[in-house]
Amino acid sequence: MEKKDIKFDSNSGYIRESSSRILKDLEIYGIGEKAEFEIKLCVEEAVRNAIVHGNKSDPKRQVRLCYWMDKDVLNIEIEDEGAGFNHELVKDPTKEENLLRTSGRGVFLIKKLMDKVEFNTKGNIIIMKKRVK
Amino acid sequence: MAVRIDPKQGLTVCHIDGEIDINSSPMIKKSFDKLISQKTPKIVINLSKVTYVDSSGLATLVELLKNMRSYNGRMRLACMSPKIKSLFEITKLEKLFEILADEETAITNF
Repeated sequence: MEKKDIKFDSNSGYIRESSSRILKDLEIYGIGEKAEFEIKLCVEEAVRNAIVHGNKSDPKRQVRLCYWMDKDVLNIEIEDEGAGFNHELVKDPTKEENLLRTSGRGVFLIKKLMDKVEFNTKGNIIIMKKRVK
Repeated sequence: MAVRIDPKQGLTVCHIDGEIDINSSPMIKKSFDKLISQKTPKIVINLSKVTYVDSSGLATLVELLKNMRSYNGRMRLACMSPKIKSLFEITKLEKLFEILADEETAITNF
């Protein structure tokens, strides 16, 4: 797969579009239903965070989606134009006292379902890696 | 996404068809509004036709459970696919919800 670098507006329609594009480009690798489900979920969670929390759904702000294969590892980088956030401050949703909370599971799921997740210092870029073959 | 509500053996069975995500969550909440306002005591949600759940979908189910608990109602989830069940395991929501393998088991002794 050749490297793709795309920019789009902070429109929620791009959440599904982003995961669909990546999964379509992964078709040739036959990665299986489970990996497809996990990648779809993580991409959509990350793009939604970028649009809603990062860019505050401001149509003038853009999201950058970049993805490529490095040997058998899928790399996905998602950048927003917001102030950034500290992912370490997200409360652990699996703790007893947080189970009834209705937020805070997106980043947690990404960290669990991807093989590696990194953020830049500012906190407006997430880099996700997943072995797919 | 569609929600079908059927009275069955003295309780309420809801069948959700499609995805439970950020787009469908408002419609799902609306579909359950009447059941919650009527303080429906026991609801089984059949998820056999649910193909995808994201964190918003999980939050929607948590919110429904909280609303039901506020009047001592009970909810059971049935027929989850392994992919969706894995999300409940990862997030430990399996500790919060009564999750049953099939609708018949969910209805029995509820």
